[in-house]
Amino acid sequence: MLNYAASRIVQTIIVLLVISFIAFLLVANIGDPLAALLSADATVNERMELIARLGLDQPLGTRFLHFLGNLLQGDFGMSYRTQDPVANLIAERLPATIELAFVSLLITILVGVPAGIYCGVHPNSLFGRFIMLISTAGITLPNFVVGLLLIAVFSVQLGLLPSFGRGTVVDLGFWTTGLLSVSGWRAIILPAATLSTFQVAFIIRMLRTQLMEVGQSEHIRFARARGLSEARIWYVYAIKNTLLPVITMLGLQLGNIIAFSVVTENVFAWPGLGSLFLQSIQAADIPVIAIYLIFVGLVFMIINLIVELLYPLIDARVLRRQS
Amino acid sequence: MTTPLLDVRDLTVTINRDGHLITALDKVSFSVNPGEVLGIVGESGAGKSITGAAIIDLLVPPLKRTGGTITLAGERLDRLSPKAMRSVRGGRIGFIFQDPMTSLNPVISIGRQLCDTIEAHLKIGGDKAKRKALEWIERVGLPNPEVQFRRYPHQLSGGMRQRIVIALALCANPALVIADEPTTALDVSVQAHILQLMRDLHRESRASMMLITHDLGVIAKMADRVAVLYAGRVAEISTVGELFNAPKHPYTRGLIRATPMPSADSEVRLDQIPGAMPGLGAVPPGCAFNPRCFKAEGDCRAAIPPLTTEESTAFSCFHPLEREIA
Amino acid sequence: MTPVVNTPSVPAARRNRLSKLLRAMRRAPGPTFCAFIIFALLIYAFVTPLVSLNPFEFSGMSVMDSFIPPMWMADGIPDFPLGTDDQGRNLLTAMAYGMRTSIIVGFLSVIIGLVLGGSLGLIAGFVGGKVDAFIMRVADVQLAYPALLLAMIIDGAARAALGAERSVTTAITIVVLSIGIAFWVQYARTIRSSVMIERDQDYVSAARITGRSNLSIIVLHILPNVMAPVLVIATINLGIAIITEATLSFLGIGIPVTSPSLGTLIRNGNNFLQSGEWWISVWPCLVLVAFVVSVNILGDHLRDVYNPRLRGRS
Repeated sequence: MLNYAASRIVQTIIVLLVISFIAFLLVANIGDPLAALLSADATVNERMELIARLGLDQPLGTRFLHFLGNLLQGDFGMSYRTQDPVANLIAERLPATIELAFVSLLITILVGVPAGIYCGVHPNSLFGRFIMLISTAGITLPNFVVGLLLIAVFSVQLGLLPSFGRGTVVDLGFWTTGLLSVSGWRAIILPAATLSTFQVAFIIRMLRTQLMEVGQSEHIRFARARGLSEARIWYVYAIKNTLLPVITMLGLQLGNIIAFSVVTENVFAWPGLGSLFLQSIQAADIPVIAIYLIFVGLVFMIINLIVELLYPLIDARVLRRQS
Repeated sequence: MTTPLLDVRDLTVTINRDGHLITALDKVSFSVNPGEVLGIVGESGAGKSITGAAIIDLLVPPLKRTGGTITLAGERLDRLSPKAMRSVRGGRIGFIFQDPMTSLNPVISIGRQLCDTIEAHLKIGGDKAKRKALEWIERVGLPNPEVQFRRYPHQLSGGMRQRIVIALALCANPALVIADEPTTALDVSVQAHILQLMRDLHRESRASMMLITHDLGVIAKMADRVAVLYAGRVAEISTVGELFNAPKHPYTRGLIRATPMPSADSEVRLDQIPGAMPGLGAVPPGCAFNPRCFKAEGDCRAAIPPLTTEESTAFSCFHPLEREIA
Repeated sequence: MTPVVNTPSVPAARRNRLSKLLRAMRRAPGPTFCAFIIFALLIYAFVTPLVSLNPFEFSGMSVMDSFIPPMWMADGIPDFPLGTDDQGRNLLTAMAYGMRTSIIVGFLSVIIGLVLGGSLGLIAGFVGGKVDAFIMRVADVQLAYPALLLAMIIDGAARAALGAERSVTTAITIVVLSIGIAFWVQYARTIRSSVMIERDQDYVSAARITGRSNLSIIVLHILPNVMAPVLVIATINLGIAIITEATLSFLGIGIPVTSPSLGTLIRNGNNFLQSGEWWISVWPCLVLVAFVVSVNILGDHLRDVYNPRLRGRS
């Protein structure tokens, strides 16, 4: 087991290094940091100073090591667009996106899980089929179309919910939260719903498939042969078997949430990491793009690693099968 | 004639294949007397497992029970509502599944599975149920009941798991136990132990047992009476002694002869019956066995022989075997 | 009774194939309907530009005609059945041009992905060993990223590299390449596994014995046998590619306004959603969704039909 864990961790580190290198190459080769970071009337001295500080006169290898070192110390470079440290930009925008992701996860669990369970237990009922139809729409409709639809209905037509911004935000020092005000909650609902659409549709389909499969299994048949109630059979015996695969899939979907957050934050003018990323692309702000590249890779690799290392602990059968 | 505990009359099960209705069980009739072990024997595909599942209404669609009556201690099971049937399952009829690797829920502890069954039928809860569960774990021969109680199925060996399956089937004290190939999926060395366990439990509880198997050796060891199934129909029903010494139906004799068993003069005979049992939907007209039967004649092809009772045996054959005078 | 098609002048073989197709269509009404929708939209997208002037190049519109609602509403005019946009363009025509761009870009990116993924998959499957391991490792790492994000990153990096001055062609090329590179992995994997199965077959050994070069074996013998599953993936991917391009354009980093795709049109129309001129973004949305959903349903159906595991059944 220890061997397995060690090899997986080493592999993850190697992949992260490769990703960091690619990100570094982007920063080193694309765009002109001098033009971006210096004012037009900079003196030659200031120029030389910046070159030395950024290490632009060093060989590639050394620069990469500096790059890595800086990363590990929390120095993510300077944004070409705003001349601010990238780390500051990220810290400023992070709370908005995390809260958005959190509320969308809430919606996924509160809406998607019951709907998926219902579909799995009553797959051929009218309501079950209706849910499946909606979930198909949720999976095939592009994210921005869903957002526009929600805005058209709830903001323009009904005038119930705002279509942009975070509402009233409370500053807690290291964190700005919109969840402590009513207007904050009203502002977060539509974007969170849009962001969660794909996840909800996905989890409904997954639960339905999983439950239908489990429902056919021998041990469920044996449970029926023992006269256990249908409620117990579905809501305890069957569902417990689906928990692990579903949670795993949700975790692996995190990458999609990050991608869709860019679109959602744009539709709803939500000042989070996603819109920061979009602004960087529009303004060719390479340092931010590069950091995003590393960040997404990091998130995925770590989740993957956690899943691969925790799985054998949670499910001892997996470990046995491997040995 | 004792009143049978379980009486099955003309049980018919059909399967829907692409719109065609094919008969899987064709008017199967037999009964189980109180306290006895009735063996149901036959080749794979003869309909044995379907019979067991049909009795407790646990057929897997597209199989469907389409005819016949099933009476348990005078009550018509085939007329019960699904809710009433649920209390019969496990409570009055216990079912032992074949494969211990797949019949136990992998993510719920042994103890929990036992307690759930006990609580569902015996109307006791909490500690009392737990105590009963521990009793049963011990009774089926597992050491350290407290430890096993907390364990999960994958932590037990195949034999241990099957003991738990037996415990689960019996823990609500049913009057009838249906065992569907209880030892087929086990190692040979474990089979004997499990059979011994079942025999002991049967003697203790005095419940009736319907033992479904393809293994004549198991029948010889465990059964009091035997019903032989062929292609979804009953070929013969008789006591175990009569079956082996004086089978009436030609198929039964062929079946016995095809089973490797040392004969009196220590020869091991092994005679295969020519041909193969017809599959679903391929049953020939008349007697299902007639194409392979050395005694077949015209009337065998013309009509399905009915189950005729003669003293303590029953058979469906127009030309049954005469008793061999040794 | 098998339906017979009454075409006396058509040779027997073609008549058989036609009747087979008709039978298949009758058995699957949903996907057939979707195929018709796709066909209709394709005609709309490619024929309309032939009979009308490009409202994005030709300045024959009048700003006086802007913001006219669809013709069934008050203030609507039959001249502009679906209304006009903020520059007075007839939406019916504008959408056709937009749709054409969307389809072409989607199609091209699928081709790029197919060629890139296909070649890498062929090489990985045929050569095996370290080359295969390397290609697959790269594929695995890329799969860590959602394709949309990758397309954005590649698009962003390309823009930065090429500077501010970009022609429309360059923009389209960047988008096509970004989406193509973001999606090559699935093609590569499918072809690779098919190739690995095929390369051990007898006909390959036979070809090798007769001294054929590796390249000719790959192209002439193996390739035809692995194309079927790939084409199914390509169909499903077309929908995804079009959505990805629409998303990029909606975000402003895709196809520029001067030669817009449906996504760009929606982005433009979004500005007026709040003030009530909903039709400017809703029509392109509907057309986009209709096309993509139809492609998805048809693609799913084709995938089930050509699933090698189910092939025995029919």
